[in-house]
Amino acid sequence: MSDHVAKHGDGPEVYFQYEDIDQQQESYVVGMWSFLVTEVMFFGALFLIYTLYRWKFHGTFFGAHEQLNWKMGGLNTMVLLFSSVMVAFAVHFAQKGKTNKQLVCLGVTLLCAFGFLVIKTFEYGAKFDHHLFPNHSFSYADPEHHESKSWWDEALPAALKIEKHEQEGNPKNARLFYSIYFTMTGLHGLHVIIGIIAITALMVLIKIRSPLITDYIPTELVGLYWHFVDLVWIFLYPLFYLIPR
Amino acid sequence: MADHGHDHSEMTKGGAHANHILSERTILIVAGGLFFLMALTIGAAIYMPEPFKGWTIPMQCLALAIAVAKACLVVYYYMGVKFGTRLIKIFAYGGFVWFFMLFIMMIDYTTRPMEPVPGWEKQTSSALPRDTVKNPE
Amino acid sequence: MSSTVIEQGTVEKPHSEKNYLNADHTLKSWLLTVDHKRIGILYLISVTFFFFIGAIAAAMIRYELTSPKGILLSSEVYNKTFSAHGIYMVFQFLVVAIPAVLGNFLIPIMIGARDMAFPRLNLLSWYMFITGGALITLSFILGGVDAGWTFYVPLSTISENQISLCLVGIFITGFSSIFTGVNFIATIHKMRAPGMTWYRLPLFIWAHYATAVVVILGTPVVAITLFLVVVERGFGFGIFSPELGGDPVLFQHLFWFYSHPAVYIMILPAFGVVSEIITCFSRRPIFGYRFIAYSSLAIAFLGFAVWGHHMFISSQSAFQGIVFSIITWVLAIPSAIKMFNWATTMYKGSVHFSTPMLYALGFMGLFLIGGLTGLHLASLDTDIHVTGTYFIVAHFHYVMVGGTILGYLGGIHFWFPKMFGRTYSEVWGRMSAMIVFVGFNLTFFPQFMVGYLGMPRRYHYYYFAPEWQIYHVLSTAGSSILGLGFLMPGIYLTYAIFKGKKAGANPWGAKGLEWENCDSPPITENFEKPIIVTGSVYDYNPEEDSKLYEDEDTGMLGGKY
Repeated sequence: MSDHVAKHGDGPEVYFQYEDIDQQQESYVVGMWSFLVTEVMFFGALFLIYTLYRWKFHGTFFGAHEQLNWKMGGLNTMVLLFSSVMVAFAVHFAQKGKTNKQLVCLGVTLLCAFGFLVIKTFEYGAKFDHHLFPNHSFSYADPEHHESKSWWDEALPAALKIEKHEQEGNPKNARLFYSIYFTMTGLHGLHVIIGIIAITALMVLIKIRSPLITDYIPTELVGLYWHFVDLVWIFLYPLFYLIPR
Repeated sequence: MADHGHDHSEMTKGGAHANHILSERTILIVAGGLFFLMALTIGAAIYMPEPFKGWTIPMQCLALAIAVAKACLVVYYYMGVKFGTRLIKIFAYGGFVWFFMLFIMMIDYTTRPMEPVPGWEKQTSSALPRDTVKNPE
Repeated sequence: MSSTVIEQGTVEKPHSEKNYLNADHTLKSWLLTVDHKRIGILYLISVTFFFFIGAIAAAMIRYELTSPKGILLSSEVYNKTFSAHGIYMVFQFLVVAIPAVLGNFLIPIMIGARDMAFPRLNLLSWYMFITGGALITLSFILGGVDAGWTFYVPLSTISENQISLCLVGIFITGFSSIFTGVNFIATIHKMRAPGMTWYRLPLFIWAHYATAVVVILGTPVVAITLFLVVVERGFGFGIFSPELGGDPVLFQHLFWFYSHPAVYIMILPAFGVVSEIITCFSRRPIFGYRFIAYSSLAIAFLGFAVWGHHMFISSQSAFQGIVFSIITWVLAIPSAIKMFNWATTMYKGSVHFSTPMLYALGFMGLFLIGGLTGLHLASLDTDIHVTGTYFIVAHFHYVMVGGTILGYLGGIHFWFPKMFGRTYSEVWGRMSAMIVFVGFNLTFFPQFMVGYLGMPRRYHYYYFAPEWQIYHVLSTAGSSILGLGFLMPGIYLTYAIFKGKKAGANPWGAKGLEWENCDSPPITENFEKPIIVTGSVYDYNPEEDSKLYEDEDTGMLGGKY
């Protein structure tokens, strides 16, 4: 159970199964990349489902997407892109050994992640209020249905200058659209939450000078994961919020 | 793949140095590119003048092309594939290439009709919470 | 494999009696171990447990089918029984058995490493596997699952059972095998000893590399598909709901996108095991090393492009059916390459029919039948006649049980002296191999016939055709023999762990780092000294090696008959 044995007096620690630090670092990066391949396929199946139904029901998908708020989506894109830049800086400072700057960058990333989730909550809340959550209470393009009012119906659209669109298209296919929308963005949100946990754990471990963190590789791995989360959103944003007619 | 008895094969050790440090300048330039492309994709989708806006397929291709450009920036620079070893390049490309294997399914859907069966429309939705589905007996 | 160890100071250190088994005896040292060998043993115990649950379900199915009107089970319980059999056997046994037990144990030793690249991730995989198994078991305790192991929608979204819980369990087990796959890939790429080039790797490693590639590319797709069923049941989303315009066949597409490659996750490691056993007991270098190595990769990649042959009658378009049929026929080529290479390896070799070899030969015979009947199913016209019948059932049992389980048992017998440092009784071993082979054929060959006559799978009544009873009775009789054949290794191997004769480091006279440079059982660090590999793999010599068997003193196992 000798988990790791320090081979050098100072510098990064080499775990007992590795010969040298290069081998260890590359192993971790290769392992992370093969996990990311898994994640690509994980989201890949959803992108396929999206493609199929979008192709089959393009008209309704266009109508349904107009209910989504492209400004809030755009804001979220900016937040995530910014957080990705911050992670890139965090890795940069980790490689140079500037721990304080690294912690600041990771902290900003964490704030961005929470900001993303807060904006997402507003969007989801609005969809719930408009009966667009695709369960049995789903209601779309129903003339008898009266829109319920909530505070964000008044305040937010006014602040963001959001124009309202009529609900157009086949309500059943629209429910399909919202099923895919909630699955994909929800799963992406789940990845953001996992990322938040990972970044928090990393920051705590760095702060308490844990023996688990001896070089920049843990930051690099968390960074790779976070960039992947960003990458998924880069595709989700145009595919859900910016559907051309 | 390497045939000769190196310590670790050329494939895994080849290429640039493993722990390449991205300069602050590069990070900022790439960030600028990312934000510019984001503005471009919104502009192309929302503020495009009317005759072009109605062209569904070219506009969709444009949006996806911009997304791919953004993804390339992130993958190449921030995720370090440009400076990574050949092994990492293979895994990075492999995942995105293999994703298209899924699209073999589209051969099926382009060669048969896929319409909801009318009979299903009268049934209670299978996608209801468990307790709302009537017991058939 | 010729190799040198780096000498450090004294020529021969006094041999220490410490090994990975007796390094520490506490339960905690087992449950928190990061040693790949101990994790392999943990997997060995847990997959055996899940195998017996699945086997009990199988016994109930076989007993039920001896009468045309059923004996024991109501229709609902019968549905849950065959679902349990499929779910436990596929997700908790076949997919994990060889990679997690033999792969975990042997990959680092075979490539000359001290451990996996990520030992803690390895332990996490085992815990996830157990958690997934526990959730599946809980779902069966709380009411069972009746949708079969394939979980086709809309049945699985309508059915009033514990399907969500079971699917969550399978999801967790799936991520356990993804982490194992990630670990294998990083280990095989980065942890090889100096001089261990790709073409000096044992074929076992190539097969596991191909398996790991399939796992990381395929498993996430089924994970998300089953997740969508859970979402559809839990939240009322309707991605596969036909009444919303969704397509239930899409579920089948996505399910088989993983589950057909999953067949290769099951069979590729068995190919690796058989390659090792056949070379060792033919005392010849493997014939066509590169062909076997690359055919593993070819199977792994081509295997992703054939899933539609499960859906020839599922309203898939005829055009795509033709495409998939052609690719499936192409896929027979790399499998045949392996068969021919093994046969050619034995040609002019010094063949010894010890227990692992008997299992490996049984594997070749059964996999041949399984593979050739696969061609009936790959062609569109015969497939339409036999889809959904016992012909299919017999076919995939020939491949999965005849292939994977015989490979697994052969591997367990082959590396048993290495794992536990003791030998089992050869007489009992050979007897069990024979009984498994006979019992297996008696169980599943009648199913080909009754399936061809039209007996549908998943039915427990066939009163409309009582003349089929004879086939079912034969099959049940065979399954009793097969059950006995599986029980026997369980008993004599357990006995041998504690009371068996001590085995030397290399009781088979086999080649490879795990035999030549490593004690039985290995020490925790695997090797006393760092390894440098200098020669090619499988440098057997039939003339000289056959003399080993005649020499009583070397204590070679399995030489006297």
